This record gives sequence, structure tokens and C-alpha cells, in this order.
Amino acid sequence: MGQIAATFSRTLKEFLRERAVLFWTIAWPIIWVLISSFTFTGSVPEMAVPYVKGSITISMTVFALMIAGMANLPSSITGDRENGMLAKLMSMPISPRNDFTGRILALGALSAIAAGLVIAVGSAVGARFVVTAAQTGQAVGFLILIICASAGIGLIIGTFIRRQHGAIMTGVGISVVTASISGMFAPYEFLPPALQRFARIYPISSASNLAKYFLTGEEFADYNPLTTSQITLTIALSLLLLILGINLYSRLSWRSE
Amino acid sequence: MNAIHVENLSKRFGEKEVLKGVNLKIAEGEFYALMGPNGSGKTTLASIIASIRKPTSGRLEIYGRRPEDAKELIGYVPQENFSSPKLTARENLTYFARLLNYPAAETKTLVADMLAKIGLAADADKRVEKFSGGMRKRLEAATALFPGVKILILDEPTTGLDPAARRNFFSLITAAKDKKTTILLITHLGSDAELASRVGLIDNGIIIAEDEPETLIRNHGLEDVITVETAVKSDHIIDTLKELSIDRRLLETEEGYRIYSRDGGRVLAEVARSLEHAGYKVMRLEMTRPSLEDVFFRLTEKTMSEAL
Repeated sequence: MGQIAATFSRTLKEFLRERAVLFWTIAWPIIWVLISSFTFTGSVPEMAVPYVKGSITISMTVFALMIAGMANLPSSITGDRENGMLAKLMSMPISPRNDFTGRILALGALSAIAAGLVIAVGSAVGARFVVTAAQTGQAVGFLILIICASAGIGLIIGTFIRRQHGAIMTGVGISVVTASISGMFAPYEFLPPALQRFARIYPISSASNLAKYFLTGEEFADYNPLTTSQITLTIALSLLLLILGINLYSRLSWRSE
Repeated sequence: MNAIHVENLSKRFGEKEVLKGVNLKIAEGEFYALMGPNGSGKTTLASIIASIRKPTSGRLEIYGRRPEDAKELIGYVPQENFSSPKLTARENLTYFARLLNYPAAETKTLVADMLAKIGLAADADKRVEKFSGGMRKRLEAATALFPGVKILILDEPTTGLDPAARRNFFSLITAAKDKKTTILLITHLGSDAELASRVGLIDNGIIIAEDEPETLIRNHGLEDVITVETAVKSDHIIDTLKELSIDRRLLETEEGYRIYSRDGGRVLAEVARSLEHAGYKVMRLEMTRPSLEDVFFRLTEKTMSEAL
């Protein structure tokens, strides 16, 4: 536990003291919540505006979680590889399992802080959510799955991209592109059929839609996601990405040549 | 008992054989310097001892154990600045102490003591990104000096430090370490290696000589060393010095020239006369005792900086 707690504490402090992390994970999604809430709700019936703002807030929360997992986590890993920290750690009696557990818990904490702030700002500018304990719990569960999937992708990026700058750019690129083509930045109904299929398979956009469904109601979700196959696929793919990322990271990044 | 025992160790990266049957024994408490130019295999050997890399063949024992089973005995300080710049010195040391499984309550006192020993108590709560190179190196060495660590491996720890900071670094580390702690210093600097009790010279994956620094210098029949630095460097100066260096060795260095001679006093006077006669402005002309870098040159016909 000591090693996990030490890694958690170090990684979280590094995240919170790095301006680029704070900007892209917290400030940028908040800026978009503000811009979108005042720009894209003009033609929306007045009664629906709070829930459209809620939907926008959830999309930006998901984007924050994606950036945290896909860019900040691999940045931390590749930075450690570049500056000799990984070599130092490999020489010490610490297992990769304790290392990635501490890192992922720190990512979870950063994600929770980012999500909390984005939702708080969204609420302050008029976003409204359906708040019942059961629905909130279910939505939080799907947001946690987004963290898992993003962390999995982040671990894969951190394993295969050797340089920190490259890892950050790759993570941001994957976040922005996949968010754009899976209906998180553009309305789902405007996507061509192929991308609509992608949006339903890609676990992050699917979990995002599930969170929207629970927090803003069926009419503000992109589609009805409450089917057994949709939920099973989302859970399975999110966990698969995380397990794949953990396996590759602990086998390849920590491998003695 | 040997702290480190290396027998016929080889390491190959693809087609390239970086270590070619290295043999090395380092006793407990010994300060051993492994000196060689870049690409000689010294960092690879250090990383194998620190169990970051695996040897292709050969045997390695740390206190009679396999290196991967003796990780808690080794404190490895890589060449790069690995400490976290966003954390304070205290937070960095606390992180490494917790990785070594010291209980939280004990860690606080341990870290405070360590910061005092390496002269960073006053800067304990400053972020490392504000530290000088010397302060950061001391902090990073401290991560490998916790109680229980028996072998300290320092890979080029003074790179980028000025001579005063280098001296300060070694005096603090020597004072902070336990008497029985073994030090393996990896360096390309003769002045650092001369601080060790024993030095191994490594070139092209083989340890070519090994002994106490003074013995190495004495046994390799080195002459006086005359260092010449002129305001400008030119082929004409080389020709002039070569004329004076019959039966002596002449080496062009980054700063100027070095002449090795058994009759240093006479050659020194000749060099001064000739260069003055030729109209060259001499910035530095002195006779010094040979260094370990000179021993390396004598044995390999290569300077340490040639491969850098």
C-alpha cells in the first residue's frame, strides 16, 4: 500500500502543478462549456435550454476525462522514461503493478476534480440535470468506465510512443478526433451512418451517451442506449482497453532489455 | 565479502557487442571508479548491476545473490536528472523512501535527516525546478543513501557541474554514506575517478587496467605532462612542438596541446623559448603530474574526449 500511496501522491501533485495539464484538462473544457452554453442554445426552446446545457456540460466533462487519460497519463509515463525516473524505478524493489495502480488512482482523482469543476461551472451557467440517487450512481458508473477506457488508451500510448511530446500530441489527437467523429462535439443525428455505428461501438462515446441519458433524460441523449447489447459492449470494451493497456505497460515499459 | 562479483559478463545489442567478457570484483565498503569514454560500455555495465538490463551471458552476483533478488541493497543514480521538478526536495525524498517501504512516521524523520546530511535542509520545501544542477545531483544521490542500501551506483553524477560543485558533491556523499556502503562510480573524468580507492579503465567493452589510482599512474611509466595553451591554435604550432617532441608524445586537446616527456623541466623551457621566438601568445604553460586520463591515453592511444 505504501508504494501505491507514494505513486498516487507524487503523480497527482505533478498533475496539479503542471499548467498544461490544468489548462487542457480543466480550463479548456470549461471554456467550451461557457462558449457552447451561450452560443449554441439560441434556437432551442426555452424549456429545453437547461437540459441542452446539461448535455453540453456532460460532453465537455467526458472530453476532460479523455484528455486526462489519453494525454496526461502517457505524458507522465514517457516523461519518466525520458528523464531516467523509469530506470531508477526499475532498479528499485517496486512492482509495475503498484506503479500503474498508483498512477491510475491519481488519474482518477484528477478526473474527479476536473469533472467536478466542469459540472460546477455548467451548473452555474444554467445546466440542469435529472438528479436522483439511482440515476446519478449509474451515470457516475459510466463516467468511471470512460476513465478506464481513456486510461487504457493512455497506457498503450505511453508504452509505444517513446517521447513525451509525441505522446501528448498523440493523446490529444486521438481525443479530439474520436470525440469529433463520435458525436461528442457535433450532434449525433448529423453524423453519417458509418460514424453513428462507430459512436455506438466506441466505448467512450457510448458511455458518454449513457451518462447523458441518465443525467438529462432520454430526449437529450443521442439515442436510446438502454439495450443489453449496448451496455454490455460498452462495459466490455472499456475494461478490455484498460486491461490491454495495463498488460502492455507492465510487460513492455518495465521490460529489462 | 564481495559486494559485486562480475564474471565473464557480455552484453550484445543486436550485432553490437557492448561488453566483452568483463570480470570485476568490488569489496564491501570499497569506492570503485569505472572510467572510460562514451560508448565504452560502462553505463551498460552499471545498468546490468542495477538490474535494469540483463546480460547476454556471464555471471553477476550482489552479495552472493542474483541482482533482481538484491534490489533493496542497491541505490542507483542514473545519469539523467530523474527527480521530479514539480515536487519539492522533501516530497521527492519522501516518495523514494515510501517506495522502499519505510513506514510513514519513520519516513518524516529519515527524510529530514537526509536533507540535513546533504546540505539541503534550508531548501527542503523548494520545488526542484528551482534548484541548481549541483543541488539536484545531491538530492538524487540522497535517494540512494537510505539505510539498508549497501551499494551506491553513481552514473556520471558530476556531468555539468563546475569543479567546486563536484568536490562538494563527493565530500557530502562520502560523509552521508554508511561506512560499509560500497560506491561504484561511473565516470569519464579522471579528476572524479582519482577520488576512488580503486579504478578500472574500460574501453570497447573490456576493462583494460585496474588498480589504485596512484599505482595505475606509476605503473604505466608516465612522464611529466606539459600543458600548452596558446591564444590561437595552428598547424605551425603543432609543427613547432613536434620538433621539440622527438621521442616524446604530443597530443592536441580541446584547449591546446599536451606533451609527455621524461625530461619535463628541460622541455618546458624549450617550449617557452620556441613559442616566444615564433611570436605566439602563450596563455598557459605548465608542467603537471600525469592524470588517469593520461594513463588512458597511454594505454589506448585515445583521449577520453575523442569518443565524447
